[in-house]
Amino acid sequence: MMTTVLAGLSLGAVYTLVAIGYNIVFISSRVFNFAQAQFLMAGAFIGFLGSAKLGLPLWAAVLIAAFVGAVIGALEEVLAIRRLAGRGAHNELVTTLGVGTIIAGAALALFGADPQKVTYFDSAAFDFLGGRTNLVDLLIILVAVLLAGIVGLITRKTMIGLASLATSEDRDAGMLRGINVKHLAFWAFVIAGALVAATGPLVASKTLASYHLGDLLAVKAFVAVAVGGFGSYRGAVIGGFVVGLLEMFGARYLGTEWQSISVFVLLLVALIVLPKGLFGRSQERLV
Amino acid sequence: MKKLSNETYRRGPLWVLPLALGLVVMVLPFLGIDAGTQRITVSVALMSMLVLGLNMTFGYAGELALGQSAIYAVGAYAAGIFAVAGLDLPLTFVIAVLAAAAVGLLTGVPGIRLGNWSLGMVTFFLVLLVPEVVNLFPKVTGGAVGLPGVPLPTFLGAPLNGQAYYVLVIGVTIATFVLLRNFATSRHGNALKVLRESPVLARSLGYSVPGLKLKTYVIGALPAGAAGALFAYQDGYINPASFGFQMAVALLAASIIGGADSIYGAVIGAAILTIGPLRTSGFQQFSLIFFGILLVLGGLFFAGGIAGLARRWFQRWFVDDRLLSDVKDVLASEVEFPRIHGKELRATGVEKAFGGNRALRGVDLVARPGTVTALIGPNGSGKTTLLNVVSGFYKPDAGTIAVGGVAVEGKAPHKVAASGVSRTFQTPLIPKGMTVAEVVQSARYARDRASILAAMLRLPSARRAQREDRAEALRLLNIVGIAELADKPAADLPLGTRRLLEVTRALAGDPAVVLLDEPASGLDESDVQLLSSVISRLRDAGATIVIVEHNFEMVMSIADEVNVLHLGEMIAVGTPDMVRNDPAVVESYLGKAAREELERRNAAQQGGSK
Repeated sequence: MMTTVLAGLSLGAVYTLVAIGYNIVFISSRVFNFAQAQFLMAGAFIGFLGSAKLGLPLWAAVLIAAFVGAVIGALEEVLAIRRLAGRGAHNELVTTLGVGTIIAGAALALFGADPQKVTYFDSAAFDFLGGRTNLVDLLIILVAVLLAGIVGLITRKTMIGLASLATSEDRDAGMLRGINVKHLAFWAFVIAGALVAATGPLVASKTLASYHLGDLLAVKAFVAVAVGGFGSYRGAVIGGFVVGLLEMFGARYLGTEWQSISVFVLLLVALIVLPKGLFGRSQERLV
Repeated sequence: MKKLSNETYRRGPLWVLPLALGLVVMVLPFLGIDAGTQRITVSVALMSMLVLGLNMTFGYAGELALGQSAIYAVGAYAAGIFAVAGLDLPLTFVIAVLAAAAVGLLTGVPGIRLGNWSLGMVTFFLVLLVPEVVNLFPKVTGGAVGLPGVPLPTFLGAPLNGQAYYVLVIGVTIATFVLLRNFATSRHGNALKVLRESPVLARSLGYSVPGLKLKTYVIGALPAGAAGALFAYQDGYINPASFGFQMAVALLAASIIGGADSIYGAVIGAAILTIGPLRTSGFQQFSLIFFGILLVLGGLFFAGGIAGLARRWFQRWFVDDRLLSDVKDVLASEVEFPRIHGKELRATGVEKAFGGNRALRGVDLVARPGTVTALIGPNGSGKTTLLNVVSGFYKPDAGTIAVGGVAVEGKAPHKVAASGVSRTFQTPLIPKGMTVAEVVQSARYARDRASILAAMLRLPSARRAQREDRAEALRLLNIVGIAELADKPAADLPLGTRRLLEVTRALAGDPAVVLLDEPASGLDESDVQLLSSVISRLRDAGATIVIVEHNFEMVMSIADEVNVLHLGEMIAVGTPDMVRNDPAVVESYLGKAAREELERRNAAQQGGSK
């Protein structure tokens, strides 16, 4: 049972990592970046290149992944998002979906359809707290929680963080107070892209690098934010863990065919019962 | 070059052209095209049905319901499973369409409560779930390997060969397009465009938004189910990998490139996205990149796709600009003011607080038929809040609101609208893609139930309803003085005209109470004059008009009674002159010093006249 718990936490931590990216962008620009999970996939392939083809040490692969993620994030914001400021969720879903598709398509064109192994970590299993797990899984959990904590702290305690929170509540008011809203949005995409991509080499050691890694990941990480609340980093951790645990317990006790279906049911329940998520914050003005 | 007359373009049977084209395509096998081309044509036809369904929910209604490929899978498996079990084609077809409708309905239910993002994600998740659901019942569905052994389609016992299958597919496609085109050009299509623009606007016109959304999801699902049923027979085998992320993205891209709010655009988009990949060798590798780029460009420059461009180009160069004959008739006839049967609006003791902010503290308001009741007050006094409470968008914490003696407080906005309360908004809500006449007509949708089936089949009852809608719209537009704009796109008009249009829309359907929210805001002198004269004449015709306005001059000139709100309390009620000289009103607008000045002047006058 503990093994399942640890597996669930580790899987959930992957969702948390993408959810952190979702939140960074959402808080600063009110955009939901459907492509975020594809950044992880891009980082995963860089991990593959680094470990299997170029013989780079882990830290180098992470840095390169961060750089690539930052560049793609910048391009995405400038080309696909900026022109749409405030025109409505409609078009933003389409363009971010488009960007995500392009990234996946590039991976397919460059690396082919077969999943690739990333060999930075020894996958030997050992006993931990009463269950079997391995180093990669524990590291992912650690990184996810740390990252959420650090980014959450920065958002709540620094000027730039507070500026983002303010802008997400009211863009015009933010502009009137001298916040450079465009810059904020730009850097949010860049930072989210870099962070999420940088975790790619680590995550891929667990999941393998594949061009359609991002599809289900994007949707399940959305469930994590739906459960935890948009804009909350605490929520991203809790939500991610809830999804991961549900998935692993569902697979163990109901069968692997029920894995994603149980997450889907969770999504429906969460959206209807907890429309703002556990720790979420959002206001709508009606007329 | 002689241009096509506007009358023919808008009223003439131009639909004959696409129909003829469809019929020609249908008989192509008998003119000798080879099996390979037949197969491609079938694929394009099936995909165009899918894109058409997507256009209904996404393009017309503005709902991000992206689960088309999942519903396609449902239709295909439903037909396939029952065909393997030995059922005839017509029966499996019906089963597939019903199953698709049911799934479309169920998956749309979240969409009623959720915002667009969540709906998009939920429906997208569905698409990704297809392989897993298929694997749940491998005995029935064949699991991940696919469902083999789907027999040749049999129609009433007789098996259909390749050519007959082809004719069937094209025939069903043509029928689907006919039905959905009729639906989209009817008042139902109009209603969807209103929903797309703003659910708030839809509710204020009396639409039941959940009902409308559900109907849309079902209508969008029907072609997908039909296409799925036909697809099941194409190869005698269903591969679950055919319905996935790639297909979903391709459908969205096809919808956008063809024109998401167009009917025939679905065929264009489907053709490009089916034939394009096949013609380019080595495309498979780059297909995703291609789709992604299309999505980005489409999302950025969503200008109606190819169909939209073609329509605009054709209209610009080949259609003249003359007024339609019924517009000319209306312009030539006398302006007759309809009798408007206004009812009394009585709000008593209304209280509304937002957290600690008490926006309304026990407010009374009475508006009688045949009068203009103005509601004024400094910013933040609660005027718009009161309007929102009266029209049902906010529930009051206490108090009653009665229209013609019938209580409406606490009712949902669309029910309040249905009891005859119509309103305008601070920023005019004019849907895109509609003409001026259609905007006015949209107000009649809820008041006059009309069957969707009748609209799809263009039955006499539906045609009559459309004629009557347009006739009333033209009459009202003539009263307000903008009838010659009846067939122009409404969203591009100048602000003053859009405000007049909103007022006209508020009049359609003999409203009991008309609420005008700052109609003169942003208008210049002459437009304000025009608006004032229209409002006065409506008052004379019997309407109950409540107007919130900052333009003091205008209020003084047309109001019969003025109510002054200040920080949530009514501080003065009376004729314009009484209110203008009321010390409390002066203080609330101009401050204590002004009030003292006024009181001094009043006292001096009284002293002097002794």
